[in-house]
Amino acid sequence: MTQLDPKELKTISYTRPPIDRGYANQTLCIDLSRLDITLKPVSEKMKDIFVGGKGFDLWLLWHAVTAKTKWNDPENAVCIASGPMGGTPGYPGSGKSIVTTISPTTGSVMDSNVGGYFGPYLKFSGFDAVEVVGKRPGDTVIFIDGIDQKIEILEISGLPDDSYALSTMLTDFFAGDKKQNISVVSTGPGARHTLIGCLNFTWYDVKRKRARYKQAGRGGVGTVLADKGLRAIVARWDSVTMDTNKPADKETLTTVSKSYSREIRDLDPKQNEMARVGTTHLVPIMNDFDLLPTHNFRYGRHPGANNIGRDVYQYLFDPGFDGCWRGCTVACSHGVKDFVPMTGPYRGRKVFVDGPEYETIAGCGSNIGVFDPFTIIEMNFYCDAYGLDTISVGTGIAFVMECFEMGLITTAHTGGMDLSFGNRLSALEMVHQMASGKGFGAVVGQGIRRMKEIFAKEYGADPAVMQDIGMESKGLEFSEYMTKESLAQQGGYGIALKGPQHDEAWLIFLDMVYNYMPTFEQKAEALHWFPMFRTWFGLCGLCKLPWNDIVPENNKETPEPAKVMKHVQWYAEYFGAVTGKKATPDDLIRMSEAVYNFQRIFSLRLGYGRREHDSLPYRAMGPVTVEEYESRRERYDKELTEKHGLDITGKDTTEKAMILRRFREQQYEELKDAVYERRGWNRDGIPTIETVRRLGIDFPEVLAVLQEHAVGS
Amino acid sequence: MIRVGDKQVPWKEGMTVSALLADMRDGHFYAVVRLNGKLVSRPYFNSTLIPDNAEVILIPMVAGG
Repeated sequence: MTQLDPKELKTISYTRPPIDRGYANQTLCIDLSRLDITLKPVSEKMKDIFVGGKGFDLWLLWHAVTAKTKWNDPENAVCIASGPMGGTPGYPGSGKSIVTTISPTTGSVMDSNVGGYFGPYLKFSGFDAVEVVGKRPGDTVIFIDGIDQKIEILEISGLPDDSYALSTMLTDFFAGDKKQNISVVSTGPGARHTLIGCLNFTWYDVKRKRARYKQAGRGGVGTVLADKGLRAIVARWDSVTMDTNKPADKETLTTVSKSYSREIRDLDPKQNEMARVGTTHLVPIMNDFDLLPTHNFRYGRHPGANNIGRDVYQYLFDPGFDGCWRGCTVACSHGVKDFVPMTGPYRGRKVFVDGPEYETIAGCGSNIGVFDPFTIIEMNFYCDAYGLDTISVGTGIAFVMECFEMGLITTAHTGGMDLSFGNRLSALEMVHQMASGKGFGAVVGQGIRRMKEIFAKEYGADPAVMQDIGMESKGLEFSEYMTKESLAQQGGYGIALKGPQHDEAWLIFLDMVYNYMPTFEQKAEALHWFPMFRTWFGLCGLCKLPWNDIVPENNKETPEPAKVMKHVQWYAEYFGAVTGKKATPDDLIRMSEAVYNFQRIFSLRLGYGRREHDSLPYRAMGPVTVEEYESRRERYDKELTEKHGLDITGKDTTEKAMILRRFREQQYEELKDAVYERRGWNRDGIPTIETVRRLGIDFPEVLAVLQEHAVGS
Repeated sequence: MIRVGDKQVPWKEGMTVSALLADMRDGHFYAVVRLNGKLVSRPYFNSTLIPDNAEVILIPMVAGG
């Protein structure tokens, strides 16, 4: 057993409530400043309106903070929840947790979902959600022991700095004789020294005999945890069966779980092979369709892309079951065994790397001009170990590389580093610098929005150019899809509540390849239904992947194949079987709508959440440079002549690009109008009184926020 | 013959992925296929020849991350 000498700061014993139809019916609040541990009841109204997961997180966070709370104020809460279906073994993708907090990079509400066992273990220990507020200097660890029914706030000295070693050590220390009973939430030094820190959520891989992890990556949720002085939250729980959630209708639950599980097991090998190659299949596909972010989203393809896709990683992944929840047949959480880093503190030592997935490959690969699969694995490893979000790291480095190549920054600013695209050693060095908080990496770790300010103010870089090429919106770095040629996906990123992350909507293929939504109204409808349905997964403790990454064989014959309605119906049955509340597919959308609109108003309360905040850098809409225009000249010329009726004879590329820009910026504004109207928002992007009443979120405090913004009935 | 999913389909000299899909009622639905284990995307359907005895798997939809 690992030798540690924890100092007990506070311990309480509690009586674990029986789980009832997916709920523990209480939440846990831990105040690190006051060393208070409080249990809060969950009301029926809270379940009816907020469902669980992100809904509960938001409700707790709303009450923890004020309109003036900043990310590093003690009252900012890190909220983590599962959901009523979370922890069901056998129903694919039922182990998700979701983290919500006020973000250091956006200043507004952030949510980030993640696999691993923590959320289910937390719930089965007796808590639908945990909120952590306050701060405490030193190495604090929270231990939630659902087996022995006690909660401890501990100070533990001598813990490893990085999350890779820390996860293993805490698993060993708290496990007793069953390491699979432990899940650890932790981060590393990168989270302390940057604003883009992630959280690692573990599960114990019994076959490989090691703690493994997935990441809640977006928006600096790990930075908030680190700022609180909290090194880790550990949950301990015992075995899990179909009965553990005490479903209302076990027979239906068993039937629908078996059907879904069997379908995925049978069809995944015939479709995307996610159980074998994870999401790496997307790399060559995105590249073929000119959609793989390359060189800071300038281009969508590169000849080297085949080196970093499924054809390579299928041989590098360690074979075996890789589900981040028990019995998940999607099982896409692959990893690389015995990898030996060439840099940093683990140089020359064998490590296990969880990943890479598509986002990391595109972010820390093609987007920074790196087409070497091993460098990507090493970037992946260190980002996780240091507690850094691979998406923000990749998109941030891509931005500084373009700034470097454009001469906006020089070696005088980078500490002598050559930051040309493709310089893999410089990219790795920046990751190490982010972890140590030293050098130019510390600047990059502030995120793109702050970098733009620093580069303009201190280095004299052109702010207008940086505004066009800095791929952030609302302060969050873009995830790794090209939106230039898909207006619907521009909305999917630009109007997303937390910023440009694809978990709300991924409409590129439906829009650009299949042309399913040619009109503004059709795009607006898609930008209503898909974000709402995808939001629902985060309310229930579920993963989105089983819904539409594996589809029924007859799906194409259904009226709306993109929605995969057979699976949506199964989800409605699943919800009813666990909670006892019969639901239709439309009911699922309505559940999400309430939480979605509440989050929008929460952002408004914090000073965001309006039309001006739904803006995009121009590169997300069209070609910024002459070279970009020329790379797709045929497409853009055709758009100007055929769609807009323009005579381009005699016009040079610069002039054509300017005209195209006017059209594209205008159409994005028109899209916003259409989406706002569909969602029941006013022209400033604020939910109307009628909308909040319809959704049952017309609480006095919500109405007060709307009133402050002159939204009347 | 080639195998397309669970079905046997007669092979023709010079047969491309585009030609195969054009003969199918719902061929327009597919943007990606797996040909003998390798992914082929729509931009390359015209230029990709299907060899005899090939196995073609039609990928129903690309759903993103």
